[in-house]
Amino acid sequence: MERLLQYVFDGLSFGAIYALLALGLVVVFRGTGHLNFAQGEMAMFCTFIVWQINDWGVPLILAVAIGMLFGFALGAGAEATVIRSVAKKSPGGVFVVSIALFLGLNSLATMIWDRAEGYTMKSLFPNKDVDFVRILGAEWRYKYIGVLIVALALMGLLFLLFSKTKFGLAMRSVASNPESARLVGVPSGLVLASSWGIAAAMGALSGALVGGINGQLTPSLMFAVFIYASAAATLGGLDSPGGAVIAGLSIGIGEQLVAGYAPGWIGQDLKLSVALILIFVVLLVKPSGLFGSLKVERV
Amino acid sequence: MSLLQTTGLRASYGQVDVLLGIDIEVNQGEMVVILGANGAGKTTTMRAVSGTIPRSGSIVFDGHEIVTQNAESIVRLGIAHVPQGRGTFSDLTVEENLRIGAYIRKDSVESDIERWFETFPRLGERKSQKAGSLSGGEQQMLAIARALMSRPRLLLCDEPSLGLAPLVTQELFGVLKSLNQQEGLSVLLVEQNANLALKIANKVYLLETGQVVASGDAESIAGDERIRRAYLGG
Repeated sequence: MERLLQYVFDGLSFGAIYALLALGLVVVFRGTGHLNFAQGEMAMFCTFIVWQINDWGVPLILAVAIGMLFGFALGAGAEATVIRSVAKKSPGGVFVVSIALFLGLNSLATMIWDRAEGYTMKSLFPNKDVDFVRILGAEWRYKYIGVLIVALALMGLLFLLFSKTKFGLAMRSVASNPESARLVGVPSGLVLASSWGIAAAMGALSGALVGGINGQLTPSLMFAVFIYASAAATLGGLDSPGGAVIAGLSIGIGEQLVAGYAPGWIGQDLKLSVALILIFVVLLVKPSGLFGSLKVERV
Repeated sequence: MSLLQTTGLRASYGQVDVLLGIDIEVNQGEMVVILGANGAGKTTTMRAVSGTIPRSGSIVFDGHEIVTQNAESIVRLGIAHVPQGRGTFSDLTVEENLRIGAYIRKDSVESDIERWFETFPRLGERKSQKAGSLSGGEQQMLAIARALMSRPRLLLCDEPSLGLAPLVTQELFGVLKSLNQQEGLSVLLVEQNANLALKIANKVYLLETGQVVASGDAESIAGDERIRRAYLGG
């Protein structure tokens, strides 16, 4: 029982991180209909920026804020330049460009921060051996609790932005009908660039949280996280923010349970393929995901 | 007083010239109708005015040359465009469609929303429904109400009767007529149903293959034997 609770709790924290990154995928997909394969590498690059600024002596929390701003500029800049110009010519080209961004950012990070053993990344939250509370027998480490709270708070803010603000309505209108959005005066270019910016800023935060949990930073930081986030976005429905969160949390818990309970040969090494199989099955059985919407139109 | 004046308005899709120099004038408070067969360039004229396609020549609206401006700025000057096929935001609710229609406004929009729910009670009853689930007639009402949320001085309305039942079309035209006559809203209307359009129009332009081939007040066009035969079915 304690063991189960421990898995569920650890899973929730990791799941919250997957949900953050998955939300980024959903924000971009709703706005432009594209999957940003560079989402994870953008997050990794921003995390190196956070580490670098922190290494120069800026407090970590401030460095994370700067890293998120950098992420916003990186995402918005990528959309406004390469993505938009390619999308006009061929929608399929965006896929190739985001793969190119993936490789480019990865190489760039490897070039700038070249050290095989990586760098030590500090956690935003107390992270000594004694920093935990015991609830129902399970250890609730402060750094996991912190990650969960920060991730959930940011998601809450994002939902408010989407549903309660004029900017959120403008974002949804561009996603729904770009031509009509222009006709009512919505600056669609600005809105699309902002969605990519917001997605990348959330990625930056998720990167900093993962780095803090791992305690170590290398250019492969976000690789597995991105696979889980993609599985979460697919499972939840690519156009459903709520679905991404629920699926992200479930996948986080599922991952811990698989690693903990499944036979030894699955264990830590093969659990990533469980996520990939999940993506495959969802696409096969229910392509719109659990909470995604099929377009209903009456004429 | 001239509100909208196009002079030598040209537009093309790729290599194909669709508008070959269109001169159209809409005066303050007028209801002007563009008639013409499919492919004559009616919709293209509307899109050229609202700035959704590249075009050349001159479009003067309320003293401003707008031929170089984009759609986002033109709506701010007071032109609202109800596109062909309605262009509602099908994933947004009815009420959200109206709110986004007022995107350019900074003041409170609640009283306007109330007003359009009174004019179109069926929209009010369905205000929390997704626009995509409405019937064709309701979507057209929503599209017009959404355009009017920006409080335009000129409404461009492209084939509002397309695919609608005759009764619904009559209701819509009744609303357009009262907006025009009682509130002085200027309207530029594209319509296939010439009989209906001529009843509410002040002025008519007839388009053929990208050019204005006839124009005049509604009575004289309706009385023209040649035009009657070609467009009004005898």
